[in-house]
Amino acid sequence: MALVEVKQITKKFGAYSAISNVSLTAQDGKFLILLGPSGCGKTTLLRMIAGLELPTYGDIVIGGKVATRLHPKDRNIAMVFQNYALYPHLTIYENVAFPLRVRGFSGDIDKKVKWATSLVGIEHLLERKPRQMSGGERQRTALARSLVRDPSVFLLDEPLSNLDAKLRHSAREELRQFQERIGVTSIYVTHDQVEAMGLGDRICVMQGGVVRQLGTPEEIYLNPADTFVASFIGSPPMNLISDEGRTIGFRPEMFLPESAFDPSEALYRTEFTVQRIEYLGGDRILYGMVGASLPSSKAIARLPATIGTLPEVGTTAKFAMRLSDIRYFDGEGKAVEQSRRHEARLVVNG
Amino acid sequence: MAEPNTDLPGDRLLAYLALSPSIAILILLVAVPMVTVFAMSMQHISLGELSGPFVGLRNFERVLADPAFLNALGNTFVWVFGSVAIEMALGLGIALLLNIDFRMRGIARAVILTPYLIPTVVAVLTWHYMFNDIIGVLNYLLMAVGLISQPLLWLNSTSMAMFSVILVGVWKFFPFVVIALMGILQAIPQEQYEAADIDGASALQKFWRITLPHIMPVFLLTALLRTIWTFHKFDIIYLMTGGGPIDATTTLPVLVYQQGFVDFALGRAAATAIITFAILGVLLAVYLHLMKRAEARQ
Ligand SMILES: Nc1ncnc2c1ncn2[C@@H]1O[C@H](COP(=O)(O)OP(=O)(O)O)[C@@H](O)[C@H]1O
Ligand SMILES: [Mg+2]
Repeated sequence: MALVEVKQITKKFGAYSAISNVSLTAQDGKFLILLGPSGCGKTTLLRMIAGLELPTYGDIVIGGKVATRLHPKDRNIAMVFQNYALYPHLTIYENVAFPLRVRGFSGDIDKKVKWATSLVGIEHLLERKPRQMSGGERQRTALARSLVRDPSVFLLDEPLSNLDAKLRHSAREELRQFQERIGVTSIYVTHDQVEAMGLGDRICVMQGGVVRQLGTPEEIYLNPADTFVASFIGSPPMNLISDEGRTIGFRPEMFLPESAFDPSEALYRTEFTVQRIEYLGGDRILYGMVGASLPSSKAIARLPATIGTLPEVGTTAKFAMRLSDIRYFDGEGKAVEQSRRHEARLVVNG
Repeated sequence: MAEPNTDLPGDRLLAYLALSPSIAILILLVAVPMVTVFAMSMQHISLGELSGPFVGLRNFERVLADPAFLNALGNTFVWVFGSVAIEMALGLGIALLLNIDFRMRGIARAVILTPYLIPTVVAVLTWHYMFNDIIGVLNYLLMAVGLISQPLLWLNSTSMAMFSVILVGVWKFFPFVVIALMGILQAIPQEQYEAADIDGASALQKFWRITLPHIMPVFLLTALLRTIWTFHKFDIIYLMTGGGPIDATTTLPVLVYQQGFVDFALGRAAATAIITFAILGVLLAVYLHLMKRAEARQ
């Protein structure tokens, strides 16, 4: 168990900066998610924490010790690779025993291997070779191999991306329970926001080699730091409407027919012309244009099935949202802070 | 059960028709010479003739009783296993070195591969010149650095000649091993090594547990090919020493040549050739068996 601190890390490949001046802290025993679109530098950052890549500038501190130049094996970390990187010529048993054997572990290797493999539920497959295993079993083997020597930090690079959708869901659940049980600091890379929201104690949203926001799933969802985070998180993403050098944002599920609200609430009212309706079972997604008090632009509404009266396609209906659900972003796309929000709201309403 | 779909009428005919030129060429190039040699091995063929009276297995008896045959057999084993063992070890070592990322790697690769591209005759003549007792550059260099005090008789002593031809053979053919192994080394996923780094494996442990198992099938196959080719390699030895001094470097193919074209005993030469072929066959069977076992263990 250890605190992992990333201090002003920059990584250049030639002239190209894959990571630019990133600082963050993974808290002791907690689950930190690195979330961002493909190519934003998540893997590069994780590899620097693992010691597989040397930062161009900055330092990595693990458990209070500067680890920037430490060999990977001296950092007491474990890593699960995206395609698991199991040793194909060794049995599952030997794969899991490998970290113990090469470190000259003096205790009972057999007991440790049995313990680690039963934690992930593959204790009956120990004689198999990796190629005789399914994707899910391989992922568990990789987990068992990484936890067998009690690492103080777990690094996971998109470990579920090779699984099919159903398996991914249950594996995510297991991973979370598992992490809580062993309580080890974990840094988990993914490009999947659903995975990130479900797993993380905290999420670090990255884009183009920089950190856009670091916070709990709630913070990131409710108060995105900028328009990138607002549009990256949520499905469908936040509606963003530019208005006189500012951007206002609201979540599709907060944008409902006026009749769905209590009339005493502080509402922002507008008109919504419905162009297309998507039926998702539990919810309906309405695509259309907002108008009236807002500049005419595209928007999306997500209506729960409990709302009975639906506007028809092609018609314009009265829609509204709570004033407290509106987010404001400045000309650069940065969120306008709480203290200044009141002022910004007045401008929109005026 | 439903009838399976069969070929359209005429498909089969077309297939045989398309294959027939290849089959004809194979018969001409492989089957005809083999049958001829087999027939010759059981005839007593006089000087100037291409066939003669049938003598059964007499030629084989005479060959097997001939001390020259046993000598050639022994030489062949020294030549084949000496060459292949050194080629494989050297080839693996160099392939591992060239697999490391360093500046000038491209140039180093090109230089390493040149011996393989130089025509055998040119290579042999050059080495012949370098091996010369008196004017050869090898003796000159070794004496200059003080490794030897007297010139070595590289090709002219019975004790050194085999070593010298093996040296030339290895020099000429180890690049083949390098090419084959470099290909497979590059195919090993880098993540395996990274995972091992994190697990705490040393360089030696990574070699034993990752590199070696990965390259083993190609390594064995390359060794097999080199064994076959070295077994009937003729030109290097014949051009370097002619099988001498005396019979110190006479391997089985050289012996066949001498029996056939120096002694003009074609029947015996054919018998020796067939025995050679049989030995190679047994060797390959053993080898393939070992290889299958090794692969099953993977
Ligand atoms: N070894 C490398 N050499 C050059 N560029 C690299 C290297 N590794 C990664 N990059 C570049 O750095 C950027 C970030 O890559 P990566 O960290 O793999 O992104 P992610 O994991 O977020 O998809 C990409 O543009 C990628 O092309
Ligand atoms: Mg990645």
